[in-house]
Amino acid sequence: MLTEHAFGEFYQRHARSLWTYVYRVTTDGADADDIVQEAFLRLFQTDVPADDETLRRYVFRIAGNLIADRWRRKARDERHAQEATADGSQPQAPDIDVARIFSELKPRERALLWLAYVEGGTHADIAESLRLARGSVKVLLSRARARLRDLLMTRGIERLKNGG
Amino acid sequence: MADSRTDLTGVEERVVAAFMDRLRTAPLSVSPRIPSADVLWLKSRLIRQWEAQRQVRRPLDLMEPLELAAGVMAAGLLLAWSVPSAFAWIPRLIF
Repeated sequence: MLTEHAFGEFYQRHARSLWTYVYRVTTDGADADDIVQEAFLRLFQTDVPADDETLRRYVFRIAGNLIADRWRRKARDERHAQEATADGSQPQAPDIDVARIFSELKPRERALLWLAYVEGGTHADIAESLRLARGSVKVLLSRARARLRDLLMTRGIERLKNGG
Repeated sequence: MADSRTDLTGVEERVVAAFMDRLRTAPLSVSPRIPSADVLWLKSRLIRQWEAQRQVRRPLDLMEPLELAAGVMAAGLLLAWSVPSAFAWIPRLIF
């Protein structure tokens, strides 16, 4: 079990990046707060003697599972959410362009892309985080990339090509 | 202008990677409202404590309905055993 000191340090190092991941996927600050808190609490309930990197992967996995649980629950209200999006309204206050475009992807697509590009997760890590079959990550990630490409083309953000 | 291809060209792949990099560094419109490490640690300790108490109480909680059932059954048997003799005493008390 982690000592209080080790826990404090681990929390300081990773809480913010975990929160950012959850927020980018859920697009809801309150959800992100809840999920991050729950993920860390669950991490401490389990006696996982492990190094920092393993614990980090583990807490991201817990958060991924919690996100998946939420989006399954929310799937029932999907129609309602789609209507809201069709109205042009966003779930949160207007964010900057990149975040707004990202929020147009489906939650799972957002999670896949974030874990792959920002967290640098392998297909195995992503599969574990999102409770997906390892074999389907590659396909789903390709689709998510293609969806993002389409969105970027539609929005005319090809200047990103030049890093502008 | 949606494209049905799921495979990306090299340029498209770079565009997506650049976008994700920009997203990574993009400022957030809201700030996290998560508790400090101290608070979370304390909460975690309390949950562990409650869980430990629940584990200790579990056998007692399981036994409670059984004890109740046994008590009711014993009372029923006692009543069944004592009623005939009670009835036998009633005439003696009257006469």
